[in-house]
Amino acid sequence: MATGRRGAKADRSEDRIGRNDQPPDGCTITPVPDDPEIEVPYRRSVPLISTEGSTMTLLLTARTPAPTLPKHTSAAASARGATKIYGRGDTEVVALDHVDVDFATGQLTAIMGPSGSGKSTLMHCMAGLDRLTAGSVTIGDLDISSASEKQLTILRRDRLGFVFQAFNLVPTLTAIENITLPMDLAGTRPDRAWVESVIDTVGLSHRLKHRPSELSGGQQQRVAVARALASRPQIIFADEPTGNLDSTAGAEILAFMRHAVRDLGQTIVMVTHDPVAASYADRVVFLTDGRIVDELTDPTPDAVLDQMRRLTN
Amino acid sequence: MPRLTVKNLWANKVRFALTTFGVTLAVSFIVSAFVLGDGLRASFEKVSEEIASGVDLEVRNVADLGDAPPLAIGTVPTVAAVEGVDKAVADIEAADNAVRPIKADGSTISTNGPPQLAFNWIEDDQLSAFRLVEGSPPRVGQFTIDVDSAAKHGFVIGHTYKVMTPKGTVELALSGTSSFGSENATLGAVLMQMNTAQAGELFAIDGVNAIKVKVASGADTAAVQARVRDAVRATAPTVEVVDNAAVLAETTSDFTQEIDIIGNILLGFGGVALFVSLFIIYNTFAIVIGQRTRELALLRTVGAGPAQIRRSVLGEALGVGVLASVIGIGTGVVMAQGLEALFGAMGAQPVAHPTILASRTVIAALVIGVGATMLAAVGPARRAATIPPVAALTGRSESVRLGSRARTASALALVGAGVLAGVGGLAGVGPAAVTVGGTAFGAIAVFLGVTLLSPLAVRGVTALFGWPLHRAAGVAGRLARNNAARNPRRTATTAAALMVGLALVSTALIVGESVKATIGTTYTQSVKADYFLTDNLREVRFPAALAAKIREAEHVTAATGLTYLEARVQGMAAGNAKKQVVGLDFAQVGALLDLGIESGGFDTRVANPVVVSTSEASAIGAKVGDVLTIELPNRSRIQTTVVGLFDNQTVVAQDYLLDNSVLDHAGVAQAPEWLAVSFADAAPPSAIDTLVAELARELPYAQVETAAQFGKRRQALVDNILTMVSIMVALAVIIALIGIANTLALSVFERTRELGLIRAVGMTRRQLRRMVRLEAALVATFGSTIGVGLGLVFGSGVVAALPASFASGISVPVSQIAVLMLVAGVAGVIAAWFPARRAGRLDVLEAIAM
Repeated sequence: MATGRRGAKADRSEDRIGRNDQPPDGCTITPVPDDPEIEVPYRRSVPLISTEGSTMTLLLTARTPAPTLPKHTSAAASARGATKIYGRGDTEVVALDHVDVDFATGQLTAIMGPSGSGKSTLMHCMAGLDRLTAGSVTIGDLDISSASEKQLTILRRDRLGFVFQAFNLVPTLTAIENITLPMDLAGTRPDRAWVESVIDTVGLSHRLKHRPSELSGGQQQRVAVARALASRPQIIFADEPTGNLDSTAGAEILAFMRHAVRDLGQTIVMVTHDPVAASYADRVVFLTDGRIVDELTDPTPDAVLDQMRRLTN
Repeated sequence: MPRLTVKNLWANKVRFALTTFGVTLAVSFIVSAFVLGDGLRASFEKVSEEIASGVDLEVRNVADLGDAPPLAIGTVPTVAAVEGVDKAVADIEAADNAVRPIKADGSTISTNGPPQLAFNWIEDDQLSAFRLVEGSPPRVGQFTIDVDSAAKHGFVIGHTYKVMTPKGTVELALSGTSSFGSENATLGAVLMQMNTAQAGELFAIDGVNAIKVKVASGADTAAVQARVRDAVRATAPTVEVVDNAAVLAETTSDFTQEIDIIGNILLGFGGVALFVSLFIIYNTFAIVIGQRTRELALLRTVGAGPAQIRRSVLGEALGVGVLASVIGIGTGVVMAQGLEALFGAMGAQPVAHPTILASRTVIAALVIGVGATMLAAVGPARRAATIPPVAALTGRSESVRLGSRARTASALALVGAGVLAGVGGLAGVGPAAVTVGGTAFGAIAVFLGVTLLSPLAVRGVTALFGWPLHRAAGVAGRLARNNAARNPRRTATTAAALMVGLALVSTALIVGESVKATIGTTYTQSVKADYFLTDNLREVRFPAALAAKIREAEHVTAATGLTYLEARVQGMAAGNAKKQVVGLDFAQVGALLDLGIESGGFDTRVANPVVVSTSEASAIGAKVGDVLTIELPNRSRIQTTVVGLFDNQTVVAQDYLLDNSVLDHAGVAQAPEWLAVSFADAAPPSAIDTLVAELARELPYAQVETAAQFGKRRQALVDNILTMVSIMVALAVIIALIGIANTLALSVFERTRELGLIRAVGMTRRQLRRMVRLEAALVATFGSTIGVGLGLVFGSGVVAALPASFASGISVPVSQIAVLMLVAGVAGVIAAWFPARRAGRLDVLEAIAM
């Protein structure tokens, strides 16, 4: 109790990794709302997106990229020779086999592949949740392969966002407390205007004081997306974010993610096995047996489905 | 099903090992009480047999009031002359601590409790309790001392020592050493023997205390007993003649009284440990059942009936109980030996005795240990049986139900019954067993009721104490607060054990503080005397003439001794009640003590004056001028007149104060237990020093202290008792902390996924550990808050029930209680050390994937 404050302060001073530092060359993850050139829809009094079904359709049809958004080609995260081997000897399983991949800044990238293809392993290793057996992963300028457990934690807290398939929220915290959790953990003050605009965007303003158990599955996932966006991370990793939702709620979540990328310049990497979900991405990377076997840009559900059929056959 | 039970036990072995700790500890105490008691008892029975076997009959006086008066010395030849009596010898014993030896260097012996006793030397091995070890029996002018005391205090045969007696200090030569029975089973007492011809004079006993009789071989003991009775009844109507069996029983019970005190303390420890353990066992089973909901539901889907599920859980409890009890029996035997070593280190004389593990001990340990464990598991087992098969699919949902109306009603009923029983017990009109039983039952019922009610307070209390945590420790503090409040029942039950511990200790602290405060005020407000003359040993009487002698000294303005006597009071509504009365000097007392005279005064113009307390006066309807008949220990009945009523009973708790002239009239000797002395204001310190030094020379064992010093010493006595109580409660607190650790470990396991998520979104290990520790601190603080609250209530109740002379008002040691609560919180943090470390080590990925 008595050590609480001192400890909290120590965390704040030593735990942060260049959160406000200028990003490395080529990797401009400028906080989008501060850029006057970019149209900032959420600053308008009327939100572009609402949860109402009608506006949703409107949004889903408007899939052309905003002309003012700068097109980034640099990688927000990349893997080189990424190899992950589980077990030993007879039980050895190669989950990732010398994977080289770049996830571009400002893009929504989907990782697809059949069960056991290594897609989740790839994401976990890229997100600092798991360690590679060999090879390297870089987030921005940071080579996380050699980072300590503590550095990885701080990395996840300050520079990454997460959306999981289920159990995304801390049951004892309200929606708003869940959304600001990473900032609270870092001991930093959330950017209120930004957080409010994110909340408006996902349409949760009237449910902020509710506990997760009082929210529907779709609402819970929206809180999770809001949390991922709230800290303005360099990359959001989403692991089957619509896997537990019905198709309507799933479409909503995917639309938000798409909106975050298109309009807010967010970088998102999403693991999915659903071709419809993958079709929301700018680019789809296909994994089989731990190797990247193909990729599609600006995919349609049919194209993704075709590709998957080819891979599984 | 039995196989499943065994497998579940094995799978949760660490959990159940922690759970059983409390039961094991409780059983250990109970077993050690029995083992120690049985061993010592067996040994003392042997000693008693050895000492008393040769005594066929014992002749002695009985008395209604006070100590039995001695038999006339002429009774001995009368008894010896009875037909069938082989031998009759005088048995003369000094009053406890009345005769005490002084070491060669002039210092006195302190036994820390056991008495110093002196006897006459009986020249008959069969009739005497003592055996000569070295040297020779005491002749006139000589004495012997028990061999252990001789060695311990450096008494050498052939040397001359001063011996303090009721008649003053005398010099006696040490002729030899003796042994009480063949083992010298003194239990730490100092035992001396003097020559029979001199003993009565030295001990200030006019006659003999008893006559020990050996019946001639071939004579019928019962017939001899009757003849002896007839022979002595003529001269001594109150005499009784008892046979060997009665003597043996008395000798044994003299010993076992001491053993029983130790045994009862150990049983008390065991009881508290057991009670506290019940909560922990209950909690562990409840949580483990909650976590196994899916598994149990699966068993239901494949065909297990509710009764089978219930039996399976109770089977686990049986296994845990048997294991805990068996271990407890083993550790109990070891503990008995450890305790004896401890008593030895504290100065008690070790007694050689066998280690006896009676079948009664084993059965009691198993019944108590297994019974308690199964009792605590009944609720969880019933709940397990109600799990529907469909739960196998839907999984576990954490219950946050606060409580049904029935639960609240039964809780209130328990609290009500407990309060009634407690108040009834504390009112203390019945025998001690009723008081102790009523109070204990009341406390247990209140504890259970409050435990049932306390979930309702969890949210409020954790919010209150969690707020500063949140401010200080940020989100870890907030999460800790939320976690502590998320399952109020679990938090309440986890904290219950600590609640019991802290309620007991704060009750003791409040009662102790109130008693100490009363002592403090007593000696500032009620005492005018400058000095007290006391003796640190029990039941010591000062010489009758001492007060008068002190009054003769220069600069002394007033002095009186206070003699405590048993008496019967008749007249008005007193109804011949047996009362303790106090004899003092009415002419002196006004200058020495402020007893709060309400009406009348210490008037000596009336013959045989008595001053009565206002409470007693109103009880018997007496007022100034009324006449009461008081019967004193020597059976003389004196018509006394009430001359005053007094109100302040803090220094003198007795209801009847007699002027010493009443004692003189009745022919009862003054035997003051303590004296109060005042000096003139202008008395030079040197005069006081001279008197003190003179008293110290004449009465080596006496303590001359200022009123303040005397008060301090009595307060220190209270502190000693508090220390004892605190040790007992420390055990309860340790068990409680194990309970907190256990619950937290289970909670951490239960929340694995959630912890994984928090770690994934950026909580550091340190923050996570802190979160778990803060939760523990909150749970502990919750328990200590409720416990201290109950302690305040209990303490106030006890203080209200105590006579005003012990505690006249409630004093709360605020700083001590605050420290106690802080310690409880910190202890909670320490208890959470391992669960926190475990939580910190969780693999994030595995945790999320769970």
